[in-house]
Amino acid sequence: MSTSDPAGDGLGLRGIHVAVPDGPGTRTLLDAVDLDVAPGEVLVITGSSGSGKSTLLAVAGLLRRPDRGEVLVAGTPTAELSERRRTALRRERIAIVYQSANLLPALTAREQLELVGHISGERRSQARGRAAQLLEELGLAGRADQLPAKMSGGERQRVGIARALMARPTVLLADEPTASLDGALSAEVAGLLAGEARGRGLAAVIVSHDDAPLAHAERHLHLAGGALKAITTVAG
Amino acid sequence: MFLALRDLRRMWRRFALVGLVVGLVAMLSTVLTGLADGLVRDGTSGLRALPVTHLAFAPHSEAVFSRSTIDERSLAKWTRVPGVEASPIGVSFVNAASTDGGPSIDLALLGVSPGGFLADRSDARPPAAGLPGLVLASELRDEGVKVGERYRIAGSDLTLPVLGFTFAGSYGHVPIAFTSLATWRSISYGNDARGRFSAIALRVPADVDVAAVDRAAGTETKTKTEAYDGSPGFSAETATMTLIRAFLLVISALIVGAFFTVLTVQRTRQIGLLKALGASSGYVLRDGIGQIAIVVLAATVIGAAAGAAVIGLLDGGPVPVELSIGGVLTSAALLVLTGIAGSLVAFRRITKVEPAIALGVEA
Ligand SMILES: Nc1ncnc2c1ncn2[C@@H]1O[C@H](COP(=O)(O)OP(=O)(O)OP(=O)(O)O)[C@@H](O)[C@H]1O
Ligand SMILES: [Mg+2]
Repeated sequence: MSTSDPAGDGLGLRGIHVAVPDGPGTRTLLDAVDLDVAPGEVLVITGSSGSGKSTLLAVAGLLRRPDRGEVLVAGTPTAELSERRRTALRRERIAIVYQSANLLPALTAREQLELVGHISGERRSQARGRAAQLLEELGLAGRADQLPAKMSGGERQRVGIARALMARPTVLLADEPTASLDGALSAEVAGLLAGEARGRGLAAVIVSHDDAPLAHAERHLHLAGGALKAITTVAG
Repeated sequence: MFLALRDLRRMWRRFALVGLVVGLVAMLSTVLTGLADGLVRDGTSGLRALPVTHLAFAPHSEAVFSRSTIDERSLAKWTRVPGVEASPIGVSFVNAASTDGGPSIDLALLGVSPGGFLADRSDARPPAAGLPGLVLASELRDEGVKVGERYRIAGSDLTLPVLGFTFAGSYGHVPIAFTSLATWRSISYGNDARGRFSAIALRVPADVDVAAVDRAAGTETKTKTEAYDGSPGFSAETATMTLIRAFLLVISALIVGAFFTVLTVQRTRQIGLLKALGASSGYVLRDGIGQIAIVVLAATVIGAAAGAAVIGLLDGGPVPVELSIGGVLTSAALLVLTGIAGSLVAFRRITKVEPAIALGVEA
C-alpha cells in the first residue's frame, strides 16, 4: 500500500466528494474518497451500475471537478489549477480507454493515434513513426489504414489502447474496457491493457463490470455507497 | 484541422446539402451582381461615352440634369480656366412621333454646341453644325429607324429629320439623340431660351482646383462617375439590388449557422472526446469552424463560377448584364465572410462542451 506516499509519480485522490442532483434532493456518489495508485500498479474498481465508477474516473482524469477534494497527478495538486492548466495536464499525463473504444469514425487506426500527436503539437513525422510502432506492438500493423466501421470489437478496443499509450501518459484510466467484448476476447484485451500499463510503469485504474481484468490486477476495490472497500490485495 | 480535413474527405455527404445551398446562393448573388452592373451600365452608357471628365451642374441639383439650369456667365468662368475645355450641354427627355405613322420613340435629347468637343465624332457633327435634325443612338437603327425619316417632337412645333446614327448609348435606359444646342433650346424653352442650358461638359486636367472654380462660377461640379447617381432610376436600381444581395448574405449566414449548430449538437460527444484527449477549446473551434470555412469557400467558388457562366450566356442578349471580376470577387468574398460569421453562432456551444461527457458522465 502506498497511502503515506503522496502519490509520488502516480495518481492520488484526497477526500473526493461528489454529489449529484437526484429528484428533489441530492445523492452522494463519492464520499470523502481517498486513493493512491503507484506507477506500475494496476488497480481494478468494481461496483454496481450507477454506483459512480465513471464519475470517479472523470474526477481522476481531470474531466470533471469534484465538489471537494484534491486530485494529485504525478504529484501535482490540481484543485487550484485553471481550466487551461488542467487541460494541459490531461494532455500530457492522462490517457483514457473507453467502453467500446470511442474512436472517431472519420479516422483510420493510424490517424486515431496521429491525432493525439497533433493535439499535443508533436512533429508530424515523429507522431507518424510512434503511431506505426505502437500499432505494430499491439498487433495492429495490418489494420493501420482501416476505419473503425470496418474493425471488429476487439480490434477497435486495441486501437483504443494504442491511442491511450500514444499520449505517453503517467496515469491510465479505463472505463469498462472489456464490457462490449465476449469471453476470450475480453480476457485478452484485459491482459493486454494491464500488461502494457505495468510494462510502461503507468498508474492504472480499470473500472469493470466483469471479472476479466481482476486476474491482472495488483489490487481490487469495490465502490458502493460512495466509499471504496478493499476486496483483495494480490502481491505485485 | 487534422480531423476536419479527414472528416470532410470521408464524410463529405453530410456537407453536400449545405454546400449545394451555399453554392446556389453564391450563384444567384453573382447573377444579380451581373444584372445590377448591367443595369447600371445600360442606364449610364450615354454618360460614360461622353468624352468628359466632369460635369458642372447648378447648385443643389445633385447631378440631375432636369433640375439644373446653367447660363453663359458660369460657362465663361469655366472657359477662362487654363487647360480646361468647357462646352454647354442640354439634356431632356422627349417623345418623338414618326410622321409617316411609324411607332413613336422616347429619346434622351442631348443638345451640344457646334464645334464643341462633345461633337468630335464625325458622325455626330451635322446636328451640332446647326442643321436642324437628330443623330440617334445606333441601337435605334437596329430597331428599324432609317435616315431621312422625320419625327415630330411632342410638346413642340418642331419636326426633325434623322440625319444619321452614332455610338451614343442611352441615359436612364432611354436611347440618346444628339441635336444642336439651338434646336434643343427651341424644344425646351421655345423662344425664351435666354442662353440657358442644363450643364457644362468639362475636360479638367488633374491639377485644377475644381472647388475653387465652382465657387467663382456658382456651379456644383461632379466627376463623370459621381454624375451617374443623378441618372434616372440609378439609385433605385442600385438600392434594390443591394437590398436583394444583402438578403442573400443574411440567408446564407443563417443557413450556415443553422447547419453548423445541428452538426455541433450531433458532435457533442466527439467534441467531449477531443477535449478529454487534451485539446483546448481553441483547437476544437479551429477544427470545426475551419471545416465550415472550407465548405463555404469551395461552394462559393463553384457557385460564383456557375453564376459567371450564366452571365456570360446572357451577355449580348436582350437583358443588359455586365461581368466585372471585381464585382464577382467582392460578392463571393462577402458570402464567405458572412458564412463563417454564421458558423460563429455555435461558438458557445463548442466551448461549453464538458470533457466528462466522453465518459458518459455529466459534469
Ligand atoms: N451531473 C449529474 N447530474 C445528475 N445525475 C448524475 C450526474 N452525474 C452522474 N449522475 C448519476 O450518478 C450515477 C452514477 O453515474 P456513473 O456514470 O458514475 O455510474 P457508473 O458506476 O459508471 O454506472 P455504469 O456502471 O452504469 O456505467 C448515475 O445514476 C448517474 O445518472
Ligand atoms: Mg460508467
